[in-house]
Amino acid sequence: MAEYRKQLPLITAVDKPFWDAAKRHELLAYCCQNCGTYYSLIVECVQCSTPKMEWVKVSGKGKVFTYTIYHHVYNPLWKDDIPYNAVWVQLDEGLIMMSKIVGAKNEEIYVGMPVEVVYDDITEEVTLPKFKPVG
Amino acid sequence: MSSEDLRDKYAFVGVGVTKQGKIPEMNADDLATQAIQLALEDSGMKKGEVDGYIFQPGAGLSTVTPLHRAGIPAKFHWQMQTGGATAISTVAAAIGTMEAGLCQVCILLYANNASSMRPPAGGATSGTPMAPQPRSTEGAYGIFGPATSAAFMARRYMHLYGLTKRQLGAVAITFREYANKRPEAIMYDRKLTIDDYLNARMIVEPLCLFDCCLVNDGAVALIITSAERAKNYKKRPVYVMGYGLDHSLRELGGAPQDVFEWDGFITQKAGDHAFNMAGVTHNDVDVAEMYDAFTFFCLSQLESYGICKKGEAGAFVEAGNLRLDGEWPSNTSGTQLSWSYLHGFTHLVEGIRQMRGECMECQVKDAEIAMITGVGGLGVGSANACCILRR
Repeated sequence: MAEYRKQLPLITAVDKPFWDAAKRHELLAYCCQNCGTYYSLIVECVQCSTPKMEWVKVSGKGKVFTYTIYHHVYNPLWKDDIPYNAVWVQLDEGLIMMSKIVGAKNEEIYVGMPVEVVYDDITEEVTLPKFKPVG
Repeated sequence: MSSEDLRDKYAFVGVGVTKQGKIPEMNADDLATQAIQLALEDSGMKKGEVDGYIFQPGAGLSTVTPLHRAGIPAKFHWQMQTGGATAISTVAAAIGTMEAGLCQVCILLYANNASSMRPPAGGATSGTPMAPQPRSTEGAYGIFGPATSAAFMARRYMHLYGLTKRQLGAVAITFREYANKRPEAIMYDRKLTIDDYLNARMIVEPLCLFDCCLVNDGAVALIITSAERAKNYKKRPVYVMGYGLDHSLRELGGAPQDVFEWDGFITQKAGDHAFNMAGVTHNDVDVAEMYDAFTFFCLSQLESYGICKKGEAGAFVEAGNLRLDGEWPSNTSGTQLSWSYLHGFTHLVEGIRQMRGECMECQVKDAEIAMITGVGGLGVGSANACCILRR
């Protein structure tokens, strides 16, 4: 595998289960076992007085919630990718997650586009969940 | 004591604004020192009278150097940072220190030399990381810079309410028209038409260059003291009627979906607190200075503060309602998009000048009450701030 030069995600002890699962090609989300609410980041449930937060497996299916296309080069390592997309996907479980669409042209992306997760093994240690169009 | 007891109890008596723009011959401390001196001159106050100093650390600014160089005998120097909500937060903090008997006259300051630094800080192009690159989940997905959050919000809003690029552009053009009447504005001599806007370089779709604030060097110092003392100085005091802050579990992506609103900042607590403290409503406001780091922020604030209904802000702006003869005259200097980017101090300065009647061609006639807002941006959480001033 050629050396991967772009930034790697920041992985801490707290979100390590998410990245370990991604490496196994599974998608996890933080969910309150008390009320069933899924969260986009690691937070204590605000619905419950006694939250019970756990990582649980999610479907990996959802819709584009919003997106943008980068034209400005913020980072020289992304220069050759311009114009590239970044998205927030709303999973069927309700939470939204930041990601990227693959397998579609920028102009084909729209809010509400049905997508499903795919796994990009960017290094031997790190896998980035991304999304591709379905249907 | 409730916050209503503080209504009109403190007032601004001095405003010092340096040259704005690209000023490579001065560093941020030079600019800050000059702003303090200009504020003292504006008020007719002696430097020995100032005993409090609260500042927002703009790019390149050191903690106490400007204070020492201006010869200010402050008892404390506090650094505050909550993004675009900082300016109004410093007002609340200054009033708190004066209520606590800690000081009697406080300087609030912002200075930076962002545009003379490499890479520049703020605006369309900020967020460019320095090598070596730290690990970052956003960076791993190619997500950089504060404009991105505004772009994500604007795109979602376009989907929900059919906002057009022309409507978004109307924000930029309206503010540029104000700046074209203000000789000290950075964009004073540069006109902006809708064609210029629609053909502009894209930054992060749907935002183009003119949707993003300026990046520039400059400094501002404001002097605030008790209403009683305020009568002793040269300029007509501008009273602080109320202020409010809001920072809940609402950060982009960090919040549960049912409290997370993509189509607007949640400003209700900030607005309610400020207006309750002030004893007025937005119907009493004569002029507004809304945080405008990105055009879209103005639309979301117009709706979240209740000036427009959901989804109507784009048409409201396009119909000319932010102009002097509109329903909600706003951002009368051209503010961050066209006057100068001094974080939330941009708006505080213009609100004070409106209350003093100093805005020349951009003066709202007989304006008595001004609403100032601040948006902490998404990188530091959805910190929102609102402040009501009166003459």
